[in-house]
Amino acid sequence: MFPRRLIPIALLPPLALLANVAWTHNAICDCYDNGNDTITCEGGFSDGGKADGVPLRVLDGAGKVLVEGHMNDNSEFTFAKPKVDYRVEFDAGEGHLTVIDSRDIKE
Amino acid sequence: MTSRNSRAAACGALLAALIAAPAADAHFQLLYTPDAALKESAALPLALVFSHPFDNGFTMNMGKPEAFYVVSQRGEAEPRTTDLMQYLQPIEWAGGEGSKGAAYLANPPRSVTRSLGDYTFVLKPAPYYEAGEDKYIQQITKTVVNVGGIPGDWDKPLGLPVEIVPLDKPYANWVGGVFRAVVLSGGKPVPHAEVEVEYLNHEPQLDQRRFAPEGKVTAPQQSFVTLSIRADANGQVIIGLPKAGWWGICALDLDDDEQHQGKELSVDAVLWVQAKDINAR
Repeated sequence: MFPRRLIPIALLPPLALLANVAWTHNAICDCYDNGNDTITCEGGFSDGGKADGVPLRVLDGAGKVLVEGHMNDNSEFTFAKPKVDYRVEFDAGEGHLTVIDSRDIKE
Repeated sequence: MTSRNSRAAACGALLAALIAAPAADAHFQLLYTPDAALKESAALPLALVFSHPFDNGFTMNMGKPEAFYVVSQRGEAEPRTTDLMQYLQPIEWAGGEGSKGAAYLANPPRSVTRSLGDYTFVLKPAPYYEAGEDKYIQQITKTVVNVGGIPGDWDKPLGLPVEIVPLDKPYANWVGGVFRAVVLSGGKPVPHAEVEVEYLNHEPQLDQRRFAPEGKVTAPQQSFVTLSIRADANGQVIIGLPKAGWWGICALDLDDDEQHQGKELSVDAVLWVQAKDINAR
């Protein structure tokens, strides 16, 4: 089994495989607490490909979007730490979502 | 001859034979951590021990390392170097033959290894005086760890005076596969380099500061304790990985007639490679 944060992307339609070679590999994302009321999430692909431009959302328990953005050139996204419980969604393609619970994000 | 005299003579002969015999096992600088491929980021415990890994032989005294750091890198991002000297904790490590050697543990905080990607730990130990050969040995050692499965610069040289550069990910190897690497000195491949390979047969037990007393395998003959091979004409070595665990590769005496305190200094390059069982769960 893949660990929770590793989402297999191997079953995409052939056109998608042709369109983006990186997507033939697994998308991976993880986040850590910077200890200064900010959170940094990092993403990438198992072949070392960049995740720049991949959308990332931060939602509260009710599903309300608190922060929304995209991975930067360094495949990172930093946001202010919400005051409430939240989850991070790293959206590497339809049906291939990595979700990270705030309780799993440590310094 | 009395019984006592004959025993003494026998012991003397044995001692002489032991001294005259070539070393059957090799010195290896360990830069050990339990797992080279972490699913998620974690604080990594490290043990720096200078020993004979196959047969839990004599553990030698390490001086304070000249350098100890980690180069981390993820995907196409810029590499980052973190000095680890501040985390060195001097300890005494129990080896075989009743030996106790000065060694080091290091427990860098999770923040050092919390990013995804490759971490190449580098140790430049203090030269070790080998009285048996009246020379110094310095084994510049690399251990590569990956966090989360996003690869980094595992296949790039770090610009060390001597180093073994992987051609296969050193942290992602099935038992039964092969591992390839190139021996470099001054950034250039070393044709036909003399290389030794040893299996870390006695698992390090960091909490007890010793190796597990029982080995995992036995050698059918002395030649199997340290496997001696040569790089090919392009400086490339290929080794098999028949058993799960850590395998050490050491390329010997790669320097250009270096000296230390008026004596010969052999500058060696060590790389550690971990193999995992294909049926492991």
